[in-house]
Amino acid sequence: MAMCTILRCASVSLTSSLPRLSNRNAVTPGRLLARTCYKRTLSTTTRFCAALKFTDKHEWVRVDSGVATVGISNFAQEALGDVVYCGLPEVGTKLAQSDEFGALESVKAASELYCPLTGEVTDVNDALADNPGLVNKSCYKDGWLIKMTVSVPEELDGLMDEAAYERYIKSIED
Amino acid sequence: MSVGKAAVKVVRLGRISYRSALEVQQQHIKQHMDSCSTSPNTLLLCEHEPVYTIGIRQAPYPPEEEQRLKALGADFFRTNRGGLITFHGPGQLVCYPILNLACFKKSVRWYVCELERTVIKMCSTFGIEASTSPDTGVWVGNHKICAIGIHCGRYITSHGLALNCNTDMSWFDNIVPCGIVGKGVTSLSRELGRDVPPEEAIPKLLEAFTEQFNCTLTYN
Repeated sequence: MAMCTILRCASVSLTSSLPRLSNRNAVTPGRLLARTCYKRTLSTTTRFCAALKFTDKHEWVRVDSGVATVGISNFAQEALGDVVYCGLPEVGTKLAQSDEFGALESVKAASELYCPLTGEVTDVNDALADNPGLVNKSCYKDGWLIKMTVSVPEELDGLMDEAAYERYIKSIED
Repeated sequence: MSVGKAAVKVVRLGRISYRSALEVQQQHIKQHMDSCSTSPNTLLLCEHEPVYTIGIRQAPYPPEEEQRLKALGADFFRTNRGGLITFHGPGQLVCYPILNLACFKKSVRWYVCELERTVIKMCSTFGIEASTSPDTGVWVGNHKICAIGIHCGRYITSHGLALNCNTDMSWFDNIVPCGIVGKGVTSLSRELGRDVPPEEAIPKLLEAFTEQFNCTLTYN
């Protein structure tokens, strides 16, 4: 019975069924279906884009199920040096694309952070309070800065994908 | 790719309040943001009346601390720079480079390192052996002779460095300078055993700056 439900959901609406499928554990065929759906979904809509997008100010954003996670790139963390403090916004803060949303301190320098998208802050990485070095050690994973809603999904289309960002870095390293 | 040397304009503000200097910095930052062509790189030089300032790490300095320091006769400012608490006052040469790092190198870590090297180079022209340490700034042994704390937004730098020339060092007794317990502060005068006013340090600092940053200086 459960299996029929999963299959019916999948055939009707890939996108809305995705979170449910990914939350189910143990049912192997369901998991296989989830993986297949996930891949198909990536190519048809940016709403579930799990690939990294980059801004020209070296922030990255990854959208998963309508929630955007934001951090700084490896290029940025190397240019900063060892991060000793992260000044981040409160949950609930509304931000427009390019708004200053905080600052990172390293080598007695406070560097501004610019928001890659328009939305509202839903989560702030509390681990950075005691361990700001995570921004250097794991800039794409444990060193994430904030999570936010995505009010204007089209803004993602204007950001660089990984290949474009790599080219961008090469051009400014001259 | 930078072709040729960047030009940096030197602006001497003389004795100016910290608040006024912040406004001047903002004006120059705005010039950078507004200009479509060459970025107007500027080096502001000044001295302040007694003032304690802190950076973005505000937690160690609650309102009670602010009141305590103000009661000693100094002003107090919370700023957007990096670094912890420091003192500025007469006899201390304060330098605020308002630069577009795109004219140099787009790395804050590099920029701070170059500021340190500039001051070390300047100290050597006085016969003083200065160095860096794991704590940002310029040191003579265990004593800090020059504090550094900067802000960077869209590659435009502000705030900068504060070099003790013939500063009244007793102002530093009221704080843990830069939050570093167990280390002291010093000045050019203390190291050389004679009075060294900021005026004497200015040309040497500017010369070291042009060399280290490979730039040309222009004056009003």
